[in-house]
Amino acid sequence: MEEIIELREKFLNKEFDEKLFEIEPDTTIEFASLCGETSARFLDRTHPDFQTPPIYLCSLMGARTIPADFPNIGLGMDAGKGVEMLRSIRPGVTLTGRTHLHDIYEKTGRSGRMVFLVSRLELYDPNGSHVANSDTRIVMRERSGQ
Amino acid sequence: MRLDLHTHSIKSDDGRAKVENYCQWIRSRRIPLDGFVLTEHRQFDLESDYSSLATDFGLTILKGSEIETDYGHVLVFGVTPALMQAFDFSSIRTPLGSVLNACNRLGAIAIPCHPGRKRVGMFAHLEELGVPEGVKIVETYNGGSRGDEDTIAGEWAGKLGYLGTGGSDSHIVSHIGRCATKFSSKISSEMELVEALNLGTFEAVKPV
Repeated sequence: MEEIIELREKFLNKEFDEKLFEIEPDTTIEFASLCGETSARFLDRTHPDFQTPPIYLCSLMGARTIPADFPNIGLGMDAGKGVEMLRSIRPGVTLTGRTHLHDIYEKTGRSGRMVFLVSRLELYDPNGSHVANSDTRIVMRERSGQ
Repeated sequence: MRLDLHTHSIKSDDGRAKVENYCQWIRSRRIPLDGFVLTEHRQFDLESDYSSLATDFGLTILKGSEIETDYGHVLVFGVTPALMQAFDFSSIRTPLGSVLNACNRLGAIAIPCHPGRKRVGMFAHLEELGVPEGVKIVETYNGGSRGDEDTIAGEWAGKLGYLGTGGSDSHIVSHIGRCATKFSSKISSEMELVEALNLGTFEAVKPV
């Protein structure tokens, strides 16, 4: 299996994807409602603090989650998601998403060695302000014999 | 006093428990613990200060680490900045020998955890690597053990003359206290914990 130090040096913090996301009020309201949100700020477009539910940002994905030239270590599986809101996002805007690998680390468990990738989608509003980070964690299990 | 010597909070990548919620759970469910040690994976949490939580809930909250070595996972107690310079806590290949040497030199103690577990337990590596020099204590009760992992741990510990500790290895709130270590003395700091472990005045307990 690839050495983690080499993977970190080659791939960390290097942007490999950019994509636009239209944050549509109808969609975020329906999303919030289906999630069981009851707060008017997520459900009522006339609310003065009307905003996108943070968890909605987990559904935004760039064209790629990992760089095209990242080595084929093994099957990647979802290892969780996380959102960091830096400021509220009012639906109706178009956000620019830029993706990079934020962390690469390894750990051992009963099933052997695993490599974890944290793919971070940074979201910017039309003014260029950084409004949120959406992290997708991927685990790749070491193939037997490696 | 009873301490759970092996817990993880949200500071660990796979931990889902907030320290405050551990405290609330222990008190609301009357879990017979006097405190716990946070042993975050592959790191030592220098930043967090849990002293006000400890005071509010009347619990001892200490910090250690769970590192990964050629002999599997190892709990380290008595971590200092000097110890953090002695080896790479984030590595998964640190030789256990260098960890034990550094701990001896710098007043810390290393305890292989869930040693009966395949791949990540010390006893799974004895055939290939031999019995490591310098281990005196292993974790014989682990709250995350499956099948006969604790039995294997206890049997090997007996054969090799090791003392045993207990810890829940909790990653979620409701698992804290599944196993613990009972000390004959009061412990209120990491250094007192190391001292008590070196004295051998403790026993693993399960269930608490």
